[in-house]
Amino acid sequence: MSTAGSSNSALRDFYTEESARIRQEFISTGNGGAALAQRTALVEKIALELWSEIVCPEPKGPRSFALIALGGFGRRWLFPHSDIDLLLLHADRDTEHAFKDRIRMISQSLWDLRLKLSPATRILQECDRFDPANVEFAISLLDCRYLAGDPDLFNRLHDKVIPRLMTRESQSLLQRLADVTRNRHEKFGNTIFHLEPDVKDSPGGLRDCNVALWLSLLSSMDKLQDWPDPKSLLSPSARKQFDPALDFLMSVRCFLHLRHGRDDNALSWDAQEEAAQRGIGVYESKELSAADWMKIYFGHARSIHRTATQLLEEIPAAWSSLSRHFQTLRARVSDNDFSVVDGLVFLRESSALRDPEVLLRLFHFVARHDVRLSTTTEYKVEQILPSLAATPPKGAELWLYLGEILTQRHAAEALRAMHSLRLLTLLLPELKPIDSLVVRDFYHRFTVDEHSFLAIESLHRLREPRADWEKQYAEILSELEDPELLYLSLLLHDTGKGAASENHVEGSLAIAERCLQRLDLESAERETVLFLIGNHLEMSATLRRDIFDSATVAAFTEKVGTPERLKMLCLFTYADIKAVNPDALTPWKAENIWQLYIAAANQLSRNVDQRLHPDADVHNDKIAHLRTLAPTAGKRVKAFIEGLPQRYLKTYAAQDVLHHLEMAEALGKHPVQLDLTRGRHWFELTLVTNDRPFLFGKVAGTLAAWGMNIVKATAFSNQAGTVVDTFYFTDRFRTLELNLSEWERFKQGVSDVLMGQTDLDRMLKSRMQADEKKGQPKVKIKMSIQSDNVCSSNSTLVQVVAQDRPGLLYTIASCFSHHECNIEIALIDTEGQMAIDVFYLTQNRNKLAPDHLKKIEIALREALQSGS
Amino acid sequence: MTKVEAVIQVSKLESVKAALHEIGIEGMTVLEARGHGRQKGHTEFYRGREYTVDLIPKIKLELVVADNMVEKVVQSISASARTGKIGDGKIFLARVDEAIRIRNDERGENAL
Repeated sequence: MSTAGSSNSALRDFYTEESARIRQEFISTGNGGAALAQRTALVEKIALELWSEIVCPEPKGPRSFALIALGGFGRRWLFPHSDIDLLLLHADRDTEHAFKDRIRMISQSLWDLRLKLSPATRILQECDRFDPANVEFAISLLDCRYLAGDPDLFNRLHDKVIPRLMTRESQSLLQRLADVTRNRHEKFGNTIFHLEPDVKDSPGGLRDCNVALWLSLLSSMDKLQDWPDPKSLLSPSARKQFDPALDFLMSVRCFLHLRHGRDDNALSWDAQEEAAQRGIGVYESKELSAADWMKIYFGHARSIHRTATQLLEEIPAAWSSLSRHFQTLRARVSDNDFSVVDGLVFLRESSALRDPEVLLRLFHFVARHDVRLSTTTEYKVEQILPSLAATPPKGAELWLYLGEILTQRHAAEALRAMHSLRLLTLLLPELKPIDSLVVRDFYHRFTVDEHSFLAIESLHRLREPRADWEKQYAEILSELEDPELLYLSLLLHDTGKGAASENHVEGSLAIAERCLQRLDLESAERETVLFLIGNHLEMSATLRRDIFDSATVAAFTEKVGTPERLKMLCLFTYADIKAVNPDALTPWKAENIWQLYIAAANQLSRNVDQRLHPDADVHNDKIAHLRTLAPTAGKRVKAFIEGLPQRYLKTYAAQDVLHHLEMAEALGKHPVQLDLTRGRHWFELTLVTNDRPFLFGKVAGTLAAWGMNIVKATAFSNQAGTVVDTFYFTDRFRTLELNLSEWERFKQGVSDVLMGQTDLDRMLKSRMQADEKKGQPKVKIKMSIQSDNVCSSNSTLVQVVAQDRPGLLYTIASCFSHHECNIEIALIDTEGQMAIDVFYLTQNRNKLAPDHLKKIEIALREALQSGS
Repeated sequence: MTKVEAVIQVSKLESVKAALHEIGIEGMTVLEARGHGRQKGHTEFYRGREYTVDLIPKIKLELVVADNMVEKVVQSISASARTGKIGDGKIFLARVDEAIRIRNDERGENAL
């Protein structure tokens, strides 16, 4: 024992000296691969020394017993504090018993050297058995390497037992390996973009390198029933990115082990700082910032993750029968351009991607159907990128497809796929500065680009709300007129974090402006996107104040302006917080956002009749903007907007106001000016005319008589009595949609009713008779009428919530007109089968007297109950 | 040592934090909370539905301080969290037997 003791002491000195030398060499060269090889050789030398001293002095003895390296040791990837996996292989039980004590001595000696030994003792026969509860051992055999002992025994294991086992159990092994990997990825949120990643276990880490190699090896062994050539394991194109990435990750993990003095693979901020300073894994003399160095890390992690996930996708046996059912359903979504096999998209025509439209449709397909690109499709996309870079799609064409992608359920996945292939930054170079960008704070868990994708994803996930409070947000999301603008804002909102600007919001605004110009968005759309980006922290800031204080709500509402923007900002805030980290949006915060939303929504619908006075409103930005747009029409603009409610300017873009002015100026030629346009979701009819009794009701009635379903409407009048009413409606019978010639007849019909040339009651009667045959609505809405004589200084507010039906607005408006009320403002909205209509009423320019209001309420209730 | 628990208005968190920093208190635990004392709920109507908030959002601060700092801390929180209206919150004090810094096992006031 004393001999062994002194020998141990010499070994310890040797190990300590050599370890110090390897460490020093790594510090000076930063070459991780070399350090691992040297450490593997060092540990191997020690193991052989002990073997020779304790087990057998002969180089290839004893018979029937062999020492084999497994796992990282077998691969020659021994990191400074990795476990040392050894297999002590016996031919039979006899040798196992004979060498039991000597094995214990070897283990003890290695432990004394502070080497973390992970030994497994097996007889050869046992290695041929597959234990589903210990798949790790079977997988570790894939990296087995002979160290000492009986070479024939090792060869039997290597050449016969392992190929037989792997061939026989390939499906079970592949499936288990895929399951374990998917679970691990799930634990990390299925993203590589963590601000402080684990270089071993995070997606795109070293574990994924192993997985990629094992999957490839298992598949090849299954086909060859033998060991394949190691060089053939991955395709040459995959190797091109995989090998440098592996080299980089090796250096980083080696650095972390030496830095932490243990098997700690967390790439913390401090570690990132030091790694960047020392240029770990980067063979450049240029000094890098931590953020730049992390971009290199993410670039490599992306390559590894992509290779591993591509290989995982090729394991159909890993799917459960339920998954298989979904895959079959997915296959049915194949179309003329793309086919889906096992959840992977293939091109029907391999040259199809030369057409940029097909390329964009490909990602729209991914966003719509929750499918992934196959390896070959990805390869085709990559091939097309250089030519696409010369003439990338832009303007309205790009926005058309991008907008469609953004609104699809799986938009975030499609964006990630585009980003991973470098297509997204080619189409939207504005995203380049935030590509893999780490911005340090105590709350964010993901890089800036991934945060943006997650924000988009969290909104789409609202389609299947889990908690009650999520249902509320889902409801307003479903009501958005232009959801694509919200998603685009989320995509661009943090681009400023990658710019030099001190205030990231200002930086994002400047970048977004350029992007919106390139995408050729309409002016009103640009204003909305810029509003959302510019104010994306406003709601969170207001939440830090007293949200039950009316002054706080009023100040917030003033900034927001319109209900549509309020909905968007509320959803933006929800998504932005939720994407910070999985726990950031607590029910406490979600409830507070919602409370602020409803307080502001009420504020918007109850305080809208403050009138505009251009001479007094010198600080109104919109008026200033109108002046710059139409410098020569200053006086005419002023006269037109004098006395209009302030909400009018918040509702319409400057170009719309100028158009309304043109229509008002044409009233001399024809007393009813109408403009009909078709939007994405509905038709829009704008009426400019002089105010008269029953005006609003008559238009509503005419639309109902034509079978149109009014979903929204606004009505405003200026001091001169010029009315601007806009009705947004769906075309229930596709009359306008299918017959362009009907547009003029429709407008003429509205005009005739207003001019008293057509009998509206007769038109309505026949329509109502047709509609009555259609039966009862599926959802019953309880009618409620609320009035408020306090919230406005000039008008009486009446809010009607009722079952939506054709002619409803006509019924309500007619009732008001019969009671000699003037509709100053109407805010008409529908939510499913519920109509929510708010009217600001006056009589002789005054609020309604309480008795008068009471009579109106009774009459209105009767009219709505009788359905007439 | 004394544990100070303060329930304050959400809007007062920043000013209370600043006031505590001014008197040398750096460490504290901040919790999102809901509750009410005399300040009762709040009701909003939205689209014909009634939304009642019985429990109002609040912030709860927890900090353990040396006994000679207790009065200063209480004054500091009171002054910076006060608006004079119902709902400003409350401060609770409780004795603490021991404090241990996990990193190095320091004990007592040294661990604070």
